[in-house]
Amino acid sequence: MESGATTPSRAGKAPAGAGRSRVESGLAFGVLLVLAVLWLVPLAWAVDTALKPESETIVVPVSWIPSHFTLDAFKQVLDAGNILRWYFNSALTSVIITALVVLLASLAAYSFSRVPFRGRGVLFWVVLAGIMIPPQILIVPLFTEMNSLGFINTYQGIILPQIASPIAVFIFKQFFDGIPHELEDAALVDGASRFRIYWQIYLPLSRPAMAAVAIFTFVISWNYWLWPFIALTGTNMMTIPVGLATVQSAYGIHNAQIMASAVLGGLPLLIVFLFFQRQIVEGIAGTGLKG
Amino acid sequence: MEAPERVARPATRTSTTKPTGRRGSNLTGLIFLLPFLIVYTLFLLWPVILGLRMSFFNWSLVGGGASEFLGLQNYRELFGDPVFWVSLWHTGLFTLLSTPPLVLLALVLAMLVNRLRFAQWFFRFSFFAPFVLPVSVVALIWIWLFQPGFGLINSYLTSLGLGEVAWLPDKNVAMITAVLVTVWWTIGFNFVLYLAGLQEIPRDLYDASAVDGAGSLAQARWITIPMLSRTTVLVVVLQILASLKVFDQIYVMYTQGGLNYPATRPIIGYVFDQGFTSYRVGYASAMSYVFFVIILAVSVIWFVVARRRGESA
Amino acid sequence: MFWNLFGGGDGIRLGTMENKFRRENPDLGLESVTLSWGSPYYTKLAMATVGGGPPDVAIMHLSRKGAFAPAGLLEPLDTDLLSKYGIGADKFLPAVWKSAEYKGNVYAVPLDTHPFVMYYNTDICKKAGLLGPDGQLKPLEGPDEVIHAFEAAKKVTGAFGLSFYPNDPAGGWRLFYTLYSQMGGKVLSPDTKEVVIDDAKARRVLEFMANLTLDSKVASADSAYPDSVALFQSGKAGFYWNGEWEVTTFQAAKMPFSIVPFPNVFGGNQAQADRHSFVIPRGVDAERREAAIKFISSMMKSSMTWAEGGHIPAYQPVATSAEYKKLKPQSNYAGVADDVVLDPLAWFSGSGSQMEIQASATFQAVMAGQLTPAQGLDKFKADLRTLIEAPKPF
Repeated sequence: MESGATTPSRAGKAPAGAGRSRVESGLAFGVLLVLAVLWLVPLAWAVDTALKPESETIVVPVSWIPSHFTLDAFKQVLDAGNILRWYFNSALTSVIITALVVLLASLAAYSFSRVPFRGRGVLFWVVLAGIMIPPQILIVPLFTEMNSLGFINTYQGIILPQIASPIAVFIFKQFFDGIPHELEDAALVDGASRFRIYWQIYLPLSRPAMAAVAIFTFVISWNYWLWPFIALTGTNMMTIPVGLATVQSAYGIHNAQIMASAVLGGLPLLIVFLFFQRQIVEGIAGTGLKG
Repeated sequence: MEAPERVARPATRTSTTKPTGRRGSNLTGLIFLLPFLIVYTLFLLWPVILGLRMSFFNWSLVGGGASEFLGLQNYRELFGDPVFWVSLWHTGLFTLLSTPPLVLLALVLAMLVNRLRFAQWFFRFSFFAPFVLPVSVVALIWIWLFQPGFGLINSYLTSLGLGEVAWLPDKNVAMITAVLVTVWWTIGFNFVLYLAGLQEIPRDLYDASAVDGAGSLAQARWITIPMLSRTTVLVVVLQILASLKVFDQIYVMYTQGGLNYPATRPIIGYVFDQGFTSYRVGYASAMSYVFFVIILAVSVIWFVVARRRGESA
Repeated sequence: MFWNLFGGGDGIRLGTMENKFRRENPDLGLESVTLSWGSPYYTKLAMATVGGGPPDVAIMHLSRKGAFAPAGLLEPLDTDLLSKYGIGADKFLPAVWKSAEYKGNVYAVPLDTHPFVMYYNTDICKKAGLLGPDGQLKPLEGPDEVIHAFEAAKKVTGAFGLSFYPNDPAGGWRLFYTLYSQMGGKVLSPDTKEVVIDDAKARRVLEFMANLTLDSKVASADSAYPDSVALFQSGKAGFYWNGEWEVTTFQAAKMPFSIVPFPNVFGGNQAQADRHSFVIPRGVDAERREAAIKFISSMMKSSMTWAEGGHIPAYQPVATSAEYKKLKPQSNYAGVADDVVLDPLAWFSGSGSQMEIQASATFQAVMAGQLTPAQGLDKFKADLRTLIEAPKPF
């Protein structure tokens, strides 16, 4: 049976040639175009404002074309210093979190999938149950706990709560379950340790799952606002989302600068999205289909 | 990726060949699991338990530990606290207002995009790009859009002859504002889920129905939407759960843009205020727990519904 | 590291003062961060102090002392050190200094007093016949005179007589408290454990407030803060009730205005006010504390710049200087400092507090006609009682 997935652009479409369908296609395209433009306008307006001279941002009636475009707002925001520090904090924590999530979850998933041990089933359900815990209910006790550990306003305070991801374990386990046993049996016969099997066979084979988990984790941890907002109290420790949400421009209301900082704040992930669009989309789709 | 799960667990096969035997594999299994389990227990499970404990005390943010044991008093207080119920109402209202557009519009967008033979990339980008932005960026951009006078939206309204709207401070509009921003921000996720679901629908069904003379709308009604029911259940439940947890965008738009907070503060917002503004972390924990129960209830309902649908399909 | 909540014109002024400090103390590396005004600022400050990473010095409204000093979040200030840098008790009015103390220790250095005042558009008032022969506003006394003046102004503008911001977390409270205090009314008992509101007086105040928006219709119940500024600036209202801090905004807009103390509506000259002050969060080490005090001292000495923004400086050498006395229109209302009423001091009250936010919302509902004055009063008292009865978190 022809699966829709192999010919995505033809699924759901009436046979070509019918005059009705061409009109409908045109209509569909038209509607989509309007909606897409609507969706892009906020981003475009933000970029446009950021490129204007400050005095022209509050001109009435509004205009998209200023007297001249300028990078002044961006320069001022970058000079102010904070945003570069925030970039660094975000990058550092997100990379570490991504690496650790992949490592910890894949190790755990391998164990669940391939290493029989007592209590495996129960522990797996305990881990899975964690998916049901909304992070929002943790913020109050987590603050108390982290505070008593002295981890508030530290990198570890941000990283530690984010590296145990039950969903990642689930995704890896699903993937590992699908790897034929023969590979492992053969390696075991050869006397390979479990760890070598994991490291040299399962992990490399799981590249699609790893990519999905890594990309997702990176995006989610970069954009995570709630816990870092609570746990990062010093302005030089803040990540991008927290810094942008907390600090205001002290020197009057400079709209171009605010928009410049917003653009700078969103740019890294938009770039990531441009490069990894396929993986992100497929990752969501894959998880969704399984759900 | 979805290979069928092996039926038999050949534990005995491996243990006869491995020198260390079953006990060894016990240890190995646990060692592999340990790093994850340690972090998981310390920073996911333990706070849940600690939170429960805190909810029974007059625990203070600044006091440094449990003060008096209150038993169930915090819970009794929150049930009689009008602000708790108002906040819960705000969360419920937000969920009610945001879920239909986020589900239906995503479906319509996905169906339209799916028809196209070209430029899919462009549309996927347009609708999904906002999703990768952090909440602060989204908030700052929309605060700027909602400004009176020189704000883009009000400016276009006045040029059309309509009056300006006080999107942010007006208590009758503020919730709508929050919903609008959320729809723009997060529709991409549901959109992608629906796209995936659409691509699973076999083309034969459409071809066959076209032969029978079915037009696009009929096809949509009788083929597409029913075939998407499993996806729709997933989208709806995920959306409801996500909406119930709303806080970030409302709070950031409040602090950075003056969004009317008394008219929009969701239950998580009230938890945050009680815990960190009023220092009453015990009380905040009690509210968190009640909220947790609500979330669990919704999740359980979904689980049951999904199971039943799966059985009947 | 210095935290403040001064945006807009105040922020610019602060920047000037900070730069002066930087020039004179290049080795101290001042970093200044502005956070949004209101409840979120104090939440962040408390959390930073509790969790580590607090700023070395921060701005605090003195009305929030009740939430910070008894909770042990502030460092007591070394009075000898303060005197050494020229900002000891002798440089401040006794009443002002006292408001910075708690249980015998000094916890803050007051920067200014910023009262609720009345702005008026000189052109509009002239056309409305409200100016005296000296070109100043004829003093208004009593509720009827005040409303008549607003109505006259409304005739000139064709829009509103009074600009005000009920749609705001602080607006309604400031106005209510001003008017209520003029009657001599008190809200909380000194130990803040009881509500001691005089119902009759409070109801009169609420009826007057509702009159402004519902009966004489000289003001709008929907105005948010930025709207109110724009309304007065564009000449669509002849009068403006607000704190004095928008002086620079209107001067920069080159509009014809002046400021007078809040009118005597109900038998007194009281006006609601608060004081900005500098505090040092608990946990800042001795070396940084001294640097902080040096910074505070420099700020104090520059408070003439600050006063240009409309605030009444607390630092006496500046407040009593000829230069300050010459500032117009600041000198019109500098005397108000003696008649100001600060918010009742409880752990849940003060600028940006829960009490203020709830009260303002209730009072806005009264002004919008959604609650009768009697209902509004009941709700206000009920909210207060809930706050009082909640177990105190420290």
